[in-house]
Amino acid sequence: MKTARRILFATLAALLLGGCMKWDYGSTETFEAPARGLFVLNEGNFQYGNATLSFYDPETRRVENELFRRANGFRLGDVAQSMTVRGDVGWIVVNNSHVIFAIDLATFREVGRITNLTSPRYIHFLSDDKAYVTQLWDNRIFVVDPRRYRIMGYIECPGMTMESGSTEQMVQDGRYLYVNCWSYQNRILKIDTETDRVVDELTVGIQPVSLVMDCNRKLWTLTDGGYEGSPYGYEAPSLCRIDPETFAVERRFEFRLGSSPSAMRLNGAGDRLYWIDDDIWCMETAADRLPGQPFVRGDGTLYYGLTVDPERGDVYVADAIDYQQQGVVRRYASSGELLDRFYAGVTPGAFCWK
Amino acid sequence: MKRLRVLLLLLLPAGLAAREPAPQEDWSRRIHAIPGVQVVGSRPIGEVGVQRTRLDSAVLKENIALSMADVLTFHSSIFVKSYGRATLSTAAFRGTSPSHTQVTWNGMKINSPMLGMTDFSMIPSYFIDDASLLHGTSSVGETGGGLGGAVKLATRPAEARGFALQYVQGFGSFGTFDEFLRMTWGDDHWQLSTRAVYSSSSNDYPYRNRDKKENVYDDEMNIVGSYYPVERNRSGAFKDLHLLQEVYYNTGRGDRFGLNAWYVDSDRELPVLTTDYADRTAFENSQRERTFRGVVSWDHLRRDWKVAARAGYIHTRMAYDYERDPGNGTMTPMTRSRSRVDTFYGQVDGQYSIGRRWLFTASLAAHQHLVESRDRNIIRQDGDQAVVGYDQRRVELSGSLSAKWRPTDRFGVSAVLREELFGTEWTPPIPALFVDGVLSERGDLTVKASLSRNFRFPTLNDLYFLPGGNPDLKKERGWTYDAGLSFAAGRAGSYRLSGSATWFDSHVDDWIVWLPTTKGFFSPRNLKRVHAYGVELQADLDVALAQAWRLGLDGTYSWTPSINCGEPMTEDDRSVGKQLPYVPEHSAALTGRLAWRTWTLLYKWCWYSRRYTMSSNDTTLTGHLPAYFMNNLSLEKRFAFRWADLSVKGAVNNLFDEEYLSVLSRPMPGIHFELFVGITPRWGKRHQP
Repeated sequence: MKTARRILFATLAALLLGGCMKWDYGSTETFEAPARGLFVLNEGNFQYGNATLSFYDPETRRVENELFRRANGFRLGDVAQSMTVRGDVGWIVVNNSHVIFAIDLATFREVGRITNLTSPRYIHFLSDDKAYVTQLWDNRIFVVDPRRYRIMGYIECPGMTMESGSTEQMVQDGRYLYVNCWSYQNRILKIDTETDRVVDELTVGIQPVSLVMDCNRKLWTLTDGGYEGSPYGYEAPSLCRIDPETFAVERRFEFRLGSSPSAMRLNGAGDRLYWIDDDIWCMETAADRLPGQPFVRGDGTLYYGLTVDPERGDVYVADAIDYQQQGVVRRYASSGELLDRFYAGVTPGAFCWK
Repeated sequence: MKRLRVLLLLLLPAGLAAREPAPQEDWSRRIHAIPGVQVVGSRPIGEVGVQRTRLDSAVLKENIALSMADVLTFHSSIFVKSYGRATLSTAAFRGTSPSHTQVTWNGMKINSPMLGMTDFSMIPSYFIDDASLLHGTSSVGETGGGLGGAVKLATRPAEARGFALQYVQGFGSFGTFDEFLRMTWGDDHWQLSTRAVYSSSSNDYPYRNRDKKENVYDDEMNIVGSYYPVERNRSGAFKDLHLLQEVYYNTGRGDRFGLNAWYVDSDRELPVLTTDYADRTAFENSQRERTFRGVVSWDHLRRDWKVAARAGYIHTRMAYDYERDPGNGTMTPMTRSRSRVDTFYGQVDGQYSIGRRWLFTASLAAHQHLVESRDRNIIRQDGDQAVVGYDQRRVELSGSLSAKWRPTDRFGVSAVLREELFGTEWTPPIPALFVDGVLSERGDLTVKASLSRNFRFPTLNDLYFLPGGNPDLKKERGWTYDAGLSFAAGRAGSYRLSGSATWFDSHVDDWIVWLPTTKGFFSPRNLKRVHAYGVELQADLDVALAQAWRLGLDGTYSWTPSINCGEPMTEDDRSVGKQLPYVPEHSAALTGRLAWRTWTLLYKWCWYSRRYTMSSNDTTLTGHLPAYFMNNLSLEKRFAFRWADLSVKGAVNNLFDEEYLSVLSRPMPGIHFELFVGITPRWGKRHQP
């Protein structure tokens, strides 16, 4: 009997040690977003599903982090890649979750989602019921119906397989849409949006990483030049100006071999280019040479994303710090003066203006 | 001559040579039915100051379905980071990283030369007869590069007399089947053993996915409701086959020869994240591994000296495939990653003792790695096909000299000097110093202390992986100090209590971290300085409660602050002075065994404190892993017949159905069950009640 009591006591003690642990998943919150502001997409860490969405009000300088999670009660996903606003809805492309979420821009609540994408990068709207979604690891651009949240078809891209497939940013000029092909690619594709077919392609240099169109309807692309030892090639990065009418490179500015320009954006007027290359650089679109001095000098920073306020002209730069903590977004006036800075989420990489 | 007299009932305390029971005995009998024995032994001079945790064979042979990752989780102070059931599981000592844990199998290093780490989920505990953990400094006597420590795994002769066979069949939740077979044969000179383990599972355990919601739409595609779905672990199936052949020959005149050959054939799907919205049937994500490891050995023993020589070979082929169905019903590759590693190994050891007071050892080990990595197929600018990858080879030499001196039975001192060559780069001399002393013979109260320098070279992926490999990386550098007390007490036929407490302190400079780049890939950098320190506690208790009742308790606790002490990268960097991500500050494990005649109840419990996922130690909604407890319970009944021993064992894992994660977005299984039936025929033996 004594032995049995000892055993019973030991069992109870073990159960106490075992105690139940339950997660605190939190609850949803209600938001009323200001009419204007800046969304910050924080990529998170690849394969950890910790991407987040932040919102910054330039007027009040107030930032709200983890908005998607707080408004919806679940996570944004793995690697938030880009966001596009169409009307009252924001479309968030979450690359390694194979999904695009549509959220109400006032409440940040989800209103729908497009799933089963391969590795989505960017969404571009042709109309309210037709959009293109570019992909990595796929040689197709997906044609989707945003009203029904479904995939309608595909645009086959020449010169790439599923394994080497990469289409990125899209710029539309009338009937035609231009896409830069980045990873182990060197081209800009021209797509007829009425037939959903690639009608032309232009070789610009190794790995065009950004694509924009300026106020003079000129396309600008930035190539990163690949990397040393790449079987695809390694060259000095370049900045190219392309005439969409002739679909030819009009002007090429070459960077130093080994540099890593990225994240090229235009100001609201469309006459000034900004990009990251360790430091932050800017150049008038009318300039005939690359700038000699940076707009903002980096100081141990790992700049990862950049945007320009289309109304104020302020420049926002994301510093990922060590990619394992909440990154910092710095806000500079167009004069280069630091106006504000705020912590966002892990690896802030993309922006979207509301 | 003074001798330490240590009274042991069941097991010898940590730090002393353990008496291992004969392997051909029924293992469960060994755990519970060992009578009280009096052992008189000398404190081994070779173990002066060494902080070693020896994992008992009863622990290793607890369950055929266990991997070494499971064993280390519940029976050591090591932190095991698991990405799920039967997926990558790495182990780290004392707040360091998995690549700071060196792992040897029968003397040969089995860390991947590409990644630097070892996947312990791929090592079935049933294939290991002798496992010991060398904490921090203590690993220097065995191998270099163990900034955290070393795990030493080995097989041993079965000590069989004639032919013996053991077969165990397991059935478990989620379509899990485990089979284990061992055949042994032996005589005075020869020992042969063949072991096979085959495990398969669809591994599709259900879990409530709190990381996503399913929407309910009306006809206009407006969301009218949503809920957290109960999902199954998608793409988690596995089939693992392990074969182990051993042949030993003992001349009986001081020469022993051995051959160990281990073949692994593993097919594993890679589970998707909780935040994945892809159609399950549209994607396939899998990994295949074929590995052969072989070691031949020769030991030549004489009264005052011995020499040993080993040669080995490892061949590994890994294949990773990520495919999707583009809509035509055919899976098309998105990623086809292939790697091939060949490692040739040779080692010579010698030791010479002068009386009982001096022992000198020397060791030289060589590993030649040939690595071929093919990561991505691309189309070049000229239209030709090309593969992104690297093809490299590296020779690694590691030599050591040691002198151990025990001027009195109560005091010992040992010095080790190690030197390593990786490729063409030598390490500076790696010194290690150990002392121990008996404070009190009553309770065998012993104090130990040690210090060492250490280095870890970048892995081949760190240096050469395309894209991102950084050939300019420096080797990581570290200093480690530790000191501790151990004791053992007991009374014959009543109880035995042993324990240890160890304080450690280590500094690692030039810690290698892989970071993303603006070009879309990751690249390693020498980034951090880390100060890891803390305390490890360990205690074992065995009690004879009453006639036929026995209780055993083994517990560990670790406090492991692992602090980033580097310079801030920018003024906004909030990681300095903070705990490293994914390293728990506190962890504990407890195992209780209650035996009554032929019944055995086993209770295993472990606890990890919360782990940060951010270097700044912020705990956001998406950025923290709460603490969790884990409880496993099993009950076994043994039957002894004239013709065979039988055993039936039922196990309940995750007893309280905890929802928990070891890594973000990687769900772990809730409560699940296993049943094992084992048979050990008595070939020509009489029934022994």
